[in-house]
Parts: sequence; structure tokens; C-alpha cells
Amino acid sequence: MKVHQVLSGAGPHDAITSEALAFRARFSSWGWGGSDHAGQAVPGLNGAFTPLSELRPGPDDVLLLHHSAWTPRLQELLALPGRKLVLYHNITPATWLWDDSPIVAAQCHVGREQLQTLVRAADAMAADSDFNAAELEALGAARTRVIPLLIDLERLGPKGPPAPGPPTILFVGRLSPHKRQDEVIRAFALYRRHRAPDARLTLVGDPLANSYAEHLRRLGDELAPRAVRIESGLEPSELGERYRSASAFLCLSEHEGFCIPLIEAFHFGLPVIARPSGAIPETASGAALLVDDADLGVVAELLHLAISDEHLRAELARRGRERLTAFAPERVAERLMAAVEEAAAR
Amino acid sequence: MTEPEQALEQARAAAASMRATGAYDEDTARAEPPDGTVSRDKLSQWAAIDPDVRAVRSTRPYGAPVTTFKRMLVRLLSQYHAELTSQQTRFNVKILEELERLEQRVEALERRSEREP
Repeated sequence: MKVHQVLSGAGPHDAITSEALAFRARFSSWGWGGSDHAGQAVPGLNGAFTPLSELRPGPDDVLLLHHSAWTPRLQELLALPGRKLVLYHNITPATWLWDDSPIVAAQCHVGREQLQTLVRAADAMAADSDFNAAELEALGAARTRVIPLLIDLERLGPKGPPAPGPPTILFVGRLSPHKRQDEVIRAFALYRRHRAPDARLTLVGDPLANSYAEHLRRLGDELAPRAVRIESGLEPSELGERYRSASAFLCLSEHEGFCIPLIEAFHFGLPVIARPSGAIPETASGAALLVDDADLGVVAELLHLAISDEHLRAELARRGRERLTAFAPERVAERLMAAVEEAAAR
Repeated sequence: MTEPEQALEQARAAAASMRATGAYDEDTARAEPPDGTVSRDKLSQWAAIDPDVRAVRSTRPYGAPVTTFKRMLVRLLSQYHAELTSQQTRFNVKILEELERLEQRVEALERRSEREP
């Protein structure tokens, strides 16, 4: 069997790119061939993705379309021979992005419009969470398989004991308005002012646009001078180091189709505090403290509790470890194989 | 000894109690997410194309020389880009004017239909 993957864009620190590379490794181990293509690929991927124009599927091949922002040249792709399997990763609502990244906003807007076409034209549909699957079903998809993201936690290095030192709050995710790093800074500043004057905050993520990254830097300088560190372009081992040296993970994102960093935080035994938005309640499933309160004072107090209450920390770490079993790579790989084989048989 | 299911209520109670002692007196309200509408002022601001040269950068590690080279290219092509952005801005501004004119016409027609049902 040959499986060809199509991504709108590929980058070295992008979750969908990492998943496509992990899928390719699995396909190869199963003796499946095929090629991987991206509408746009930034340097640093060693030629793993070739342009869409080089895609030449045969009639019995499977075309796996990763739909995460938009799918370039969609009509041409749908007209190609081969079975079409769509894997929906969800799309950030454009309304969050018009100010800072108009081109990405436009792509997300078009990407949502494309969903209807994809639901009609695809031979099989899959999504990486029930939350994402429900969106497809609302558009008329008959049956959507759920394939959670294939996450390689080993790349982050060993777990190790918690680092001594002042409390360190961590959030990992693209620096983008819908991830609400601005709210993370505000909640952290409250925690620091009223509970832990020596606390630190680390935000890790590549900027979607410089303007938002600069806004975050200014906000950090204003509310918690010298206590907020913003880092981009980290290697996996460096990212692992940030998790190891953190005391708690705080996610106030307003839209998530899955949220890989929650799984990474569980892996490192961190207590997680998060907004119950998008797929977060499903991904966390009882292993995180979910807070929808508008009062950031409550978020600050939850941070204080999660960091200072040993019993609570231990119980959250235990639940996090338990939750990881649902995303074990072998279990995800079985689902992936079933979805591809089903698409190929159509 | 807090269980995860009790943590939120406990945090709410702690925040209320802290507030009673004068803490958390700063703005602690969650900033509202955008509602999807765009004001006329913002549309006018977007209409005038003004690209930020800081967006031209290398994404490679140690890419500073590449960034410098790319920005030099932008400078060399500045006349062409100025022409491009001015043509696009002209179109954007005129289309906004036209939209405003149409909106006023619709409002006038609505007022007339209210007066003469």
C-alpha cells in the first residue's frame, strides 16, 4: 500500500508536522510506501516534504489530507486518483487572528469553508479528538474515526526529579492570541504578587506574528519585571528541560483541537491548570484542574494550591500518568492503521 | 490534603477571603475574547497597507545574516513594493468609501420604508 500525506504547511516546531513524520515512520515499519507533501515548508526539515506539484498518487493509493488550517489546491487534490482520508485537527477561529496575522486568519477562514467540501468528497474521515469529530458530524460526516495525536514523549528526554528553586509556571504553545498567553501573564502576576514573590513564568512557543510576541514581552515587563521568560525555537531536549524545571503547567487557551502540551505535562508529572475550552476537558479527562472563572484571582489561587498542596500534586501526577495510557503510541498506531485500511478498501 | 474535585471551590473561597483582606484589588477580570465584528476605524486602519519589515526574518537557528540579507533585498525592491502597496491601498480605501455610501443608502431606504409602509 502507498499512503501520501498532504499538509498545508510544515515546520520544525509544528505539531502536525511532527505527527506526519511519526506517521511516515509507522507506514515504513508496516511496509507501506508513499510520499509527504506540504503547501509550504520552512527550512530545517531535511527535504522530508516535497511540493504539492510533485504528488502523483495511483488509483489504489490513499491520500491522507491533514486539515489543520486550510488545504491548498483542494479541488485539484480531490480530483487526483486514489482514496481520500481526511484527518481533521481543527482550525483556529479566524476572529482571533485578523489583527496579528491576516494571512493565517484568511487561511483559517477558507479552511473552515473547505470543511463542507471535504466532508462531501472524502472517502473516509478521521479526527484527533471527539471534539473535532463532533464538528465534522455536525457538517454531515457519517462516521468519523478518532485517532489521537501520535506523540513521541521520549524525544523530550528523561523525567528526572523536580528542580529545586522558586516556583516556576510553564505554558507551551504557539505565541498566538487564542492561546491567551496574555491572560497567563496576568494570572501569573497575581500569583506572584499575592502568593509567591520569587515565582517565575516561562512561555515556550514560536510566534505566529512578531506583534503579538512583542505585546507579550511588554506585558511581562509591565506586570512582572524580570520574572517572565519567552522562548522560541527550542530543541526537544531543551523543551524537556523546561518541563523538568517547572512546578505547574498553566493553560488558559480559548481554543484547542487536542492540546499536546497537556500530555507532555502529564508525562513530567506536573499539576495542570487549564480552561475547559475545545478538546481540553477530553484530553485532560479528570487529570487537570479546569477553571472557567472570569476572576483571574481564582486562577492564581489554584496555582498556589497546586504548587503548595503535596497531596493534590501527587494525586494529579497519578491521574496524569494514568491518562497517558490512552495516548500510548501503539494504541494510536492501531487506530491509524485501521483508518487507513478502511479508506483503502472503499 | 485537597482532592482535585475540591480544588476549584477551595480556590474560589481563598480568592474571596484574600479579597476581603484587601488583596486582589487590581483588575482581575478575564479579558473578553473578540466578538468577530470589526469597527469602521479598524477597517480604515487595515485598508492602508503598511507591511512591517520586522516580519522579514530567517527562521533558521543563527539566521541573523540571512535576516540581514532578506531585509536588504526588501530595501532594494522598495520602489516596486511602494507601487504595489499604494495600488492595493487605493483599491481598499475606495471600496470602503463605496461600502459606506451603500450603507447610507440602505439606511435611507429603511427609514423611508418605515415612514411609508
